[in-house]
Amino acid sequence: MDNLVREITIVGGGTAGWLTAGVIAAEHMANSDSGVKVTLVESPDVKPIGVGEGTWPTMRGTLQKMGINETEFFRECDASFKQGAKFAKWVTGKDDDFYYHPLVLPEGYEKINLAPYWQPESDKVSFADAVSFQGHLCEKGLAPKQINTPEYAHVANYAYHLDAGKFSAFLQKHCTEKLGVRHVLDHVTLVNPAPNGDIASVSTKQHGDITGDLFIDCTGFHSLLLGNHYNIPFISKKHILFNDTALAVHVPYQTENDAIASHTISTGQSAGWIWDIGLPSRRGVGHVFSSAHTTVEKAEKELRDYIRPTLGKKADVISIRKIPINPGHREVFWHKNCVAVGLSAGFLEPLEASALVLVELSAAMISEQLPANRDVMDIVAKRFNKKFLYRWDRIVDFLKLHYILTKRTDTKYWRDNCLAESIPEDLQTLLTLWRYESPWQLDFDHADEVFPSASYQYVLYGMGFETSARRTTRRSDNLELAQMTFQKNAQLTQKLLAGLPNNRELINKIKQYGLQKI
Amino acid sequence: MPDHQLLDNITHKDVHVITEHSTQLSDKSSYSHVFISEFRDVQAHYPIFFQKNPQTGQFEAIALFGLAGEENLFLTDAGWQANYLPLSIQRRPFLIGFQENTEDGVVNEEPVIHIDMDSPRISYNQGEAVFLPQGGQSPYLQQMAATLMAIHQGHQQTQSFIEALQQRDLLESVEIKVTLDDNSGHAMDFLYTINEEKVEQLPDEVIVDLQRLGYLKAIHMILASMPNMSHLIELKNRLLK
Repeated sequence: MDNLVREITIVGGGTAGWLTAGVIAAEHMANSDSGVKVTLVESPDVKPIGVGEGTWPTMRGTLQKMGINETEFFRECDASFKQGAKFAKWVTGKDDDFYYHPLVLPEGYEKINLAPYWQPESDKVSFADAVSFQGHLCEKGLAPKQINTPEYAHVANYAYHLDAGKFSAFLQKHCTEKLGVRHVLDHVTLVNPAPNGDIASVSTKQHGDITGDLFIDCTGFHSLLLGNHYNIPFISKKHILFNDTALAVHVPYQTENDAIASHTISTGQSAGWIWDIGLPSRRGVGHVFSSAHTTVEKAEKELRDYIRPTLGKKADVISIRKIPINPGHREVFWHKNCVAVGLSAGFLEPLEASALVLVELSAAMISEQLPANRDVMDIVAKRFNKKFLYRWDRIVDFLKLHYILTKRTDTKYWRDNCLAESIPEDLQTLLTLWRYESPWQLDFDHADEVFPSASYQYVLYGMGFETSARRTTRRSDNLELAQMTFQKNAQLTQKLLAGLPNNRELINKIKQYGLQKI
Repeated sequence: MPDHQLLDNITHKDVHVITEHSTQLSDKSSYSHVFISEFRDVQAHYPIFFQKNPQTGQFEAIALFGLAGEENLFLTDAGWQANYLPLSIQRRPFLIGFQENTEDGVVNEEPVIHIDMDSPRISYNQGEAVFLPQGGQSPYLQQMAATLMAIHQGHQQTQSFIEALQQRDLLESVEIKVTLDDNSGHAMDFLYTINEEKVEQLPDEVIVDLQRLGYLKAIHMILASMPNMSHLIELKNRLLK
């Protein structure tokens, strides 16, 4: 027996399992004799959670690398475009309170930081509108590209909204038919250790023992391998991010021509917030809240109140699914020859769609740095753990940022969110710094940050944060360039508003005619 | 506004069509659709490219007449300055419509002739008669019906050809930048052409397949049409003098 890594066994289907399988199988040529073997064991008894209907723009690259045709993805996954998020009632809670976190970077971001030049004009134009066109596209219900734009290419940067159940099935088909992933539909009954503490195999009801050189735990909240078998401790983040329950509902459109929002709408409530995601065939709406600050009955009422304007009386009878959330993550993610990807590694809350992007990032790093043999696996594991602990911390910080800049004091939930003891130290430090200097590239340690400084700018200034102007001048100050850049954004906005099609119209066309490869 | 009417020998019994080409009578368009069946004639006069249909994003083959939006360098007051007119120029003001008819309970779509009564070519006292005095089709209309039929069939054949090119990744985007004698620049970034290198590297069995379908010849005619670009530039430069 050599100690080469040739066989990868993924336990658990769902989007995490199939995305990881696809990323690894495509890069490591699972469909060729000289590649690695990828097996995915999926229990027919366990239903996937199937939330996570928002992605990041990175998903385009992930799908493309797996050799997926974007048109088929739209047709099969009930997918639609996502150009960012609109946050309503997070600052004052009033009806006119909203801001955008668009996916395009501020205009001229590689050359100039526009935030200090915008700040004096903040009462005239929102930060997002001053530096980007995308909020306007979202407000007008426009798509981020044209039917002529090649697949995966964009006019305005975009991600997707999708039906997670359909997405899993679609990935499964692609992985098994095109990428050479072996699919075992069976229940894992036992995890069998090797003498060195690795996992030697997993026993199944009908397919015997399935061996592997590397096991990937995609078993969702069960965390069968990393949690149950290895007892890796769970680090709760509930003292920072309070939400611990979600109520989810599918909302039908009234007619098949109803507009599909091309952004996630996130609306603040008394003890949480409601997500609203437009797919071509329905909306996915849900209320995520802190059970310490409200009751399920009250949260359910707020959710039904939210959908009543579109559904009328049906809003009172439509069935609601309850999903418990335990915000936090494992202490490490890669232990011995087992790495957890997806909910088995952790979950915080649906805000900013960080779940699927962590799956992509994990799969990409496992694939890129796939240990050639067991000897180097511990080195890769250590690097992986270091990188992902850092990433989880940055995500926790960024999500918390959405809560601590609120001016809402109407409920204990919003007031508690602003208590200093609930805010991570790193984030407090950054906030202090940002009172005098707006977020910029060097504020963060890594080149491949999950959230770039631009995202912090959109949230900070969207929520009315003030960075004081520097009293001294700098050589790089360039008012002329700033004004030209604002002007360029205004021109681009007009051009794109005139040139981009309606969101639903384009999605229908993609389904009918398809997008070209070039 | 175009006024498309189903052609019939009662409503349109006295209609005549002016067939000459001039800046007043012809559409101001810098291109027209072309079909694989006419590539041999087209490539002798015009550069053949592909572009995406703005409504569907699907590729279509075109002959280029100008370097800017509404510029047709072949069209002068003295007529159309080339010896071949693409079918979709010849057909005007007629077009194909489809009519549903039910035969044995099956709904069929049958091509029928429509006429654009808003066209400046429509006349009642000059040009070619559409119908004979007794109501029969004039030789001119029969010729137009044949042209429309050729377009109808050509459209499907050309789509199949383009699909074959796409399957083998033979299409590529091309940006055309032209500097004229007065140093003004024109750029066109919406055109696609055939990647000649990729054609040369095709495996023998694919070459044979393309040859049998008649596509290899079409590919070479498109490549051979490229020198007509310099003809277009020359026509444009002449206008500057």
